[in-house]
Amino acid sequence: MFLVPALITVMGLMSCNNFEYSPNQVFDKNSYKDINAGNLKRLGDGRKDDTVRFILSGDTQRSRDETIRFTKKANEIPGIDFVVVAGDITEYGVLQEMEWISRSLSKLKAPYVAVIGNHDLTSRGREAFMNMFGPLNYSFVYGGVKFVCHDTNSREHKFNGEAPNIPWLKAELQAQEGVNNYIAISHVPPNSADFDPKLIADYTATFAAVPGFLASLHAHTHRYELFYPDNSGIPYFVTSAMGNEEFLLIEIINHKLSFERIHF
Amino acid sequence: MNGFIFKIICLGLLLLVAGTTKVSAQHLKFLIPDNAIVQFAGSIGYFSVGAGYDLFKNKRGILDFNYGYVPASKGGELNIVTAKFAYKAYEVKLRDWGKLYPFNPGFFLSYTFHPELSYRFNRNRYSSDYYRWSEALRPHLSIATEIEFNGDKLMKGSGIKAVSLYTEFNTNDYYLINYIQNTSSLTLADIFQLGIGLRVKF
Repeated sequence: MFLVPALITVMGLMSCNNFEYSPNQVFDKNSYKDINAGNLKRLGDGRKDDTVRFILSGDTQRSRDETIRFTKKANEIPGIDFVVVAGDITEYGVLQEMEWISRSLSKLKAPYVAVIGNHDLTSRGREAFMNMFGPLNYSFVYGGVKFVCHDTNSREHKFNGEAPNIPWLKAELQAQEGVNNYIAISHVPPNSADFDPKLIADYTATFAAVPGFLASLHAHTHRYELFYPDNSGIPYFVTSAMGNEEFLLIEIINHKLSFERIHF
Repeated sequence: MNGFIFKIICLGLLLLVAGTTKVSAQHLKFLIPDNAIVQFAGSIGYFSVGAGYDLFKNKRGILDFNYGYVPASKGGELNIVTAKFAYKAYEVKLRDWGKLYPFNPGFFLSYTFHPELSYRFNRNRYSSDYYRWSEALRPHLSIATEIEFNGDKLMKGSGIKAVSLYTEFNTNDYYLINYIQNTSSLTLADIFQLGIGLRVKF
């Protein structure tokens, strides 16, 4: 009978960090801060890297055990520059889930960046994400390629015409010194009912108008897909979900993109 | 929203005052709480205050109503109301000075007031199977340990029957689902959150 209080005491000692004020608090004293910025600093600009090789994964959500196996598989692949988790890093948009997933992803040898997904915008996920990972729209340049990560979760923005933020995208996709190619990364693909139907034409036309635009990368549907929404020839990729134990390995050499579906 | 919360708190206080001044009818006596509570953390506020009732003939049932607050500086700002039920499964007498309740399993519901937390996702934008949970209403499971000190021994003539300290671990539907589906990457220590409280019986 005294086993129970003993057990509780042991749990208590193990969990001095377990004083939670609410599942809906957006940070605590142990929360990570600005993970994306920190990891991008570690990544550097890859000016001397002529082979850009990265992983597109997404929808880690409730798939934590799979995420651990994913990190092991990713660490075995040589020459990975960075890893992208393209949204729905959480199921319920709460801080605790973001802390757990960061703990798992911190096992990756390569730096990783997270992009906002629709589930991450439920509850107070927006604030928790911004505290822990950083802005919802951001970009970085690696090896002469500009990666433009942005929020396409129109439904969570009540289809207000501001997600995706087309003026912001246009500004980011301006010609820039040291940049030859562009890649867009977001959670909801434009062929989804969760993407603002009023913005689809403008969105794809914005990409089509950019010289050197290589691809638009997405997640959300949990199903691998490659589609061409217009006649620009720009490929739109959707990666399968972490829970389906699949991701895309993408490589850019000499302004050409190639990819491979990898199961783990 | 804040006005609404203020009204609820005022109503609660009025009930308490009306109860304790004994001007109300005898049949309302059951409304008078048996104890007052202050709790730190435990997923229902940075701090919360509440009123508790002893349930059942053996007085081993616990029914608590708490109001909790999380300031912006601690990851809020949140206002939380909670209704808790627990049962003291074991009682251990500690000589004449107190009692130990080593294992009090329980269940509680918390409701969090915040503009971004809805009771139900907007059905105009989301079909009923899109997001199936409530953001504001959270079911929790709890396990508490409580040690009670006899009031007569502690401070004679104060009118306080007993003072007790408790620690309470709780988890909720979000965390449980995450745990059950991922038992190799999450531990029970990950999903159980801690709170400590003080209870004064009068």
